[in-house]
Amino acid sequence: MRHVGAIAGRELNSLFVSPVAYAVMTLFAVLAGFFFLSGVLQFQEYVIRLQSFQAMEQLEELNLNDHVIAPFLHVMSVVLLFLVPGITMGLFASEKTNGTLELLLTSPITIWELVLGKFLAAAAFISILVLLLALFPALLFLYGDPEIGKTAAGMLGLLLMGIAYASIGCFASSVTQSQFVAFFLTFVLLLVLWMLGFLADLGAAGGATSNDTVGDLLRYLSTADHFEGMVMGLVDTKDLAYFGVIVVAFLALTKAAVESVRWR
Amino acid sequence: MIEASGLSKRYGDLIAVDDVSFSVQPGEVVGFLGPNGAGKTTTMRMLTGFLPPTDGHAVIDGHDIFSDPLAARRAIGYLPESPPIYPEMSVEGYLVYVSKLKDVPRRLRNEAVDRALERCGLVDVRRRVIGSLSKGFRQRVGLAQAIVHDPPVMILDEPTVGLDPIQIREIRALIGELAGVRDGKARTVILSTHILPEVEAICQRVIIMHRGRKALDAPLAELQSGGASLEEIFARTTAREAHAPVDATPEARP
Repeated sequence: MRHVGAIAGRELNSLFVSPVAYAVMTLFAVLAGFFFLSGVLQFQEYVIRLQSFQAMEQLEELNLNDHVIAPFLHVMSVVLLFLVPGITMGLFASEKTNGTLELLLTSPITIWELVLGKFLAAAAFISILVLLLALFPALLFLYGDPEIGKTAAGMLGLLLMGIAYASIGCFASSVTQSQFVAFFLTFVLLLVLWMLGFLADLGAAGGATSNDTVGDLLRYLSTADHFEGMVMGLVDTKDLAYFGVIVVAFLALTKAAVESVRWR
Repeated sequence: MIEASGLSKRYGDLIAVDDVSFSVQPGEVVGFLGPNGAGKTTTMRMLTGFLPPTDGHAVIDGHDIFSDPLAARRAIGYLPESPPIYPEMSVEGYLVYVSKLKDVPRRLRNEAVDRALERCGLVDVRRRVIGSLSKGFRQRVGLAQAIVHDPPVMILDEPTVGLDPIQIREIRALIGELAGVRDGKARTVILSTHILPEVEAICQRVIIMHRGRKALDAPLAELQSGGASLEEIFARTTAREAHAPVDATPEARP
């Protein structure tokens, strides 16, 4: 396992010498700032309106966690759908076009070391993004009093979701030579996985599923549903296990895909 | 040092390499010759562990490529057809990275990188980004990568392709220096090439591949003592078995 660090380090280095890392970070920060600001402004307007209506009951229910942080985390989870493919697209695809995969596969390293190194680099970068994001809710603590536990649970949810996305991006990059294809394959996989829950809701609303086993299964497979619980402040072992299983499954698939280069 | 026995590689019906066996003695420099598509690269890739053979096996420096793949790969320095470089890395950073991959112990790493830089004439460009280097320098970086861990076996796939005559001479001289027995350690080189004088300049033995088979395997001195030039021998060897199918190829038509 001693090569994992070398591989992850090189990958992160490459990310930061190329414009990709900075482009992604800038885009992420700008979008986060925009959505955060609009969320706060909306909240303010809402508070003023409720005050003018003297709707004290509703005013009581209003809180920063549910009305600013949760919507913010939701919209950022959608932003991750677009950004993670950009981060992971080159992981293996560029090694193939560079011809450097031949160097890696003829070095005394195991394929697990290679896959883990690549994945950890992407996961580390995504963690940096999520940390960057944490600055915005942190601002709220200066001027208001959101619940810290609930906020932390939501951030953790976003982080785990991003890391799970990284493993899926890893896999997509390992099955193609083209970064372009890797990007879209990752995006489609993430989108489908994210939308499964909505599909179930749609089916239930239309009465398509008479028994709800299919719906439950779809909801269970959906990333959005597991994220949802954490944003509401529930850190359930079931959800943690779900993200863990996604990571392990896609890393195993990645390993098989990289290995298959040899058997072609 | 290298024992290949019955190496074969089939892709469906296509036979890329067919039952190739040879052995290379410690310190020897062996030239791999053959027309394009003869199976040279495939054979080399099987030895390096990049491609698993369909049949047969190979032993590198006492390590079987199947039962002890990591040790076998550790014993090999490999320069693929196109140098495996990261354009965005510096020459030095790249060699440090490769030395980590190849298990050079931490305390010997700087020394190993410095030696490789020096041997390949890269000292002046050590801080340059590889992508900004000329083709000749990139080729040298590729070679430096193959020797950074001072492996007992070096497998070089067309090491002088795309270089100018002066660079070719330098690389040849370098390969000559690398091979042989030094400090009680034998270093063996297999290289493939299309340039026949290159073989005459640095190789002690010649293996000619043709249509996936080993067509000739003899010491250079023995070949030269027959009076025929290497070019004649090459033409004869690669023409011999080609006769039958030649009539069927489009070239035979007016």
